[in-house]
Amino acid sequence: MNGLWLVARREITTRGRTKGFVVGLVLSAVLVGALAVLPRLFSGPDSFTVGVVGSPALQSALAEAGAGRQGEDGTEVTVEPFTDEAAARKAVLDGDVDAAVVGDRRTLADGEVDRELGALLESAHQAAQTQKQLSEAGLDPAKVSAAMRVAPLEQVSVGADTRYEDVRTGIAFLLVMVLFFLLLQPSMYVAMGVVEEKGSRIVEILLTSIRPWQLLGGKILGLGVLALANLVVIIVAGLGAAVATGFSADLPPGMAGIVLSALFWFLLGYAFFATMAAALSSLVSRQEEVSSVISPLTLLIMATYFVSYFAAVEPGSGVARILSLIPPFSTMVMPVRTAGGGVPFWEIGLAAALMAVATAAMLALGARVYERAVLRTGARVKLSEVVR
Amino acid sequence: MIEIDDLHKRYGDKIALDGVSFSVKPGEMFGFVGANGAGKTTTMRILMGVLFADSGQVRRDGRALAFEDRRRFGYMPEERGLYQKMKVAEQVHYFGQLNGLSPKGAAKATGDLLERLALTERAGDEVGALSLGNQQRVQLAVALVHDPEVLVLDEPFSGLDPIAVDALAEVLAERRAAGVPVLFSSHQLDLVERLCDSVGIISAGRMVASDTVEALRAREGRRLLKVVVRGATPDWTTGLSGNITKNGDEVLFADANGSDQEILRAATAAGTVEHFGWERPTLTEIFREAVA
Ligand SMILES: Nc1ncnc2c1ncn2[C@@H]1O[C@H](COP(=O)(O)OP(=O)(O)OP(=O)(O)O)[C@@H](O)[C@H]1O
Ligand SMILES: [Mg+2]
Repeated sequence: MNGLWLVARREITTRGRTKGFVVGLVLSAVLVGALAVLPRLFSGPDSFTVGVVGSPALQSALAEAGAGRQGEDGTEVTVEPFTDEAAARKAVLDGDVDAAVVGDRRTLADGEVDRELGALLESAHQAAQTQKQLSEAGLDPAKVSAAMRVAPLEQVSVGADTRYEDVRTGIAFLLVMVLFFLLLQPSMYVAMGVVEEKGSRIVEILLTSIRPWQLLGGKILGLGVLALANLVVIIVAGLGAAVATGFSADLPPGMAGIVLSALFWFLLGYAFFATMAAALSSLVSRQEEVSSVISPLTLLIMATYFVSYFAAVEPGSGVARILSLIPPFSTMVMPVRTAGGGVPFWEIGLAAALMAVATAAMLALGARVYERAVLRTGARVKLSEVVR
Repeated sequence: MIEIDDLHKRYGDKIALDGVSFSVKPGEMFGFVGANGAGKTTTMRILMGVLFADSGQVRRDGRALAFEDRRRFGYMPEERGLYQKMKVAEQVHYFGQLNGLSPKGAAKATGDLLERLALTERAGDEVGALSLGNQQRVQLAVALVHDPEVLVLDEPFSGLDPIAVDALAEVLAERRAAGVPVLFSSHQLDLVERLCDSVGIISAGRMVASDTVEALRAREGRRLLKVVVRGATPDWTTGLSGNITKNGDEVLFADANGSDQEILRAATAAGTVEHFGWERPTLTEIFREAVA
């Protein structure tokens, strides 16, 4: 066991110090952080300042309208009274207020009124005017305002809950990218490390000191710890950016589940792909041969990437459901579907069980291939010679 | 005692080892010599368990070698292998720990060895930045760091400068004095002759000789009679039997076992006999003879 830790620690300290890893870590964190806040930058503002000249009724109606919509999407309206139209006009031009309503007749804006704000102003105006006109018609103002207080319609979806659909799709796409990167990169590192040791014959000294499973396991473990650290940094960067920009209010419920699912599936997928990378690369002795010998692995990861991309677009489709059960596609498709929401537990359990079996089989087979091939230097070893 | 018993190994049609047997006793330095492709590396790799023999066995004190035994061996493979991007001291320390040393013990052993091999100044450099000979010294440090119970070194002296050769010879002699069986291969026969107690000669996968250096040199059939005669005419040897090599006043007779007294009489008659005696063959001569 000690040998395993020593090997893992060496991988972490030597690979963790390389420029390639550090740059990958920083870039991926920055990229995901930026992608997490990007939609926020393009969507409109969520707080408005409105200037009002006269009309106290409108002022209170506006304040109420703003408050009424708070719970839903967090629109906040601040009312600023002005004494005359000239002052309001100046404030609009200076950008101090987003719009100004003058004497219950006109809305002033610099260009067009923001669509959301326009709707809000219109409904507040309607409410204020209705109340005023009903009062003028001789109705009791208190009764009028009581009658005016109408509970808003509650939205109930009889199909899937689509309120967070866009955000969920965004998260799914981020996951596809991140998982693809974090499954491919460390697997490449594993392959390169195996060939470095085999080609330079360090493996001859290593294997007189430790067992093949310790060397292989330590390498996979060490590079896996680095990749996991990278994933955690990415998640923290993404969520951190979302919180910092206030975007977190728009995140769908069950984010913790989505994050946990990503971590879980990453671990299974990494164990599977990294073992495959080690086994395949142990067949060759030179770095130049690595990319060709691990091409089945690269193709498999690419295929997983494409099907999960599809699943990110159509998380509820039958094809996505089936793919999310099949190893190793499930390692990316299932977390992507989970981000989409509404995956039954039995499907997750079945997919996890199938993938766990596939990973265990890959570990057994990979360790066998590695053990037999890694000391056979020279010409490329045929897979058929070592599998039997 | 390390025993190598009847190893056979073939690569396809090519027979690499054809019944190799020899043994190395505790406190014995064993030189393993043979032409290129004779099977030295193959034998040593089988001994270290990084290659499997088709048949035959390797034993230590009568028991077949297991992984745990080999862990306590010090091994230097023929093709040198080090992590090029790892620092010298870090690397030696790492291998010390892999072989079961505590972090502290490994640090101490690393410091001592680097000192002995004159590498202390390069301790913080990446191995890849070192010259070939210095990388070779690091390789030796890796083989020696855990104070091994048995040493198996494939051409440890190749590429070393004379100072480093002496340093390594000294380290090996120390290990031998501590009762460690030391097995190394080399093409530098003068060095093997100087350092080793025993020598094994392998040729085309078979052991053609394996004995103490003394016994090999004392063998009959390949003895030289050296005679130096001053003031003799060059033709004084005419009529004498044997394979004759002349070098000024010095004459070497090979195959002169039965005719030594006759040669002495002829020499006395020809001039002043300055030297008359049996020359013991050098290891190089024994080797040439054995693999011919
Ligand atoms: N992987 C291999 N495949 C095929 N033949 C091999 C292989 N390894 C060694 N041989 C053959 O086995 C024989 C013995 O090789 P070995 O390396 O043991 O010789 P050696 O005595 O160490 O030679 P040298 O002094 O050149 O190092 C050689 O004929 C070599 O060609
Ligand atoms: Mg050799």
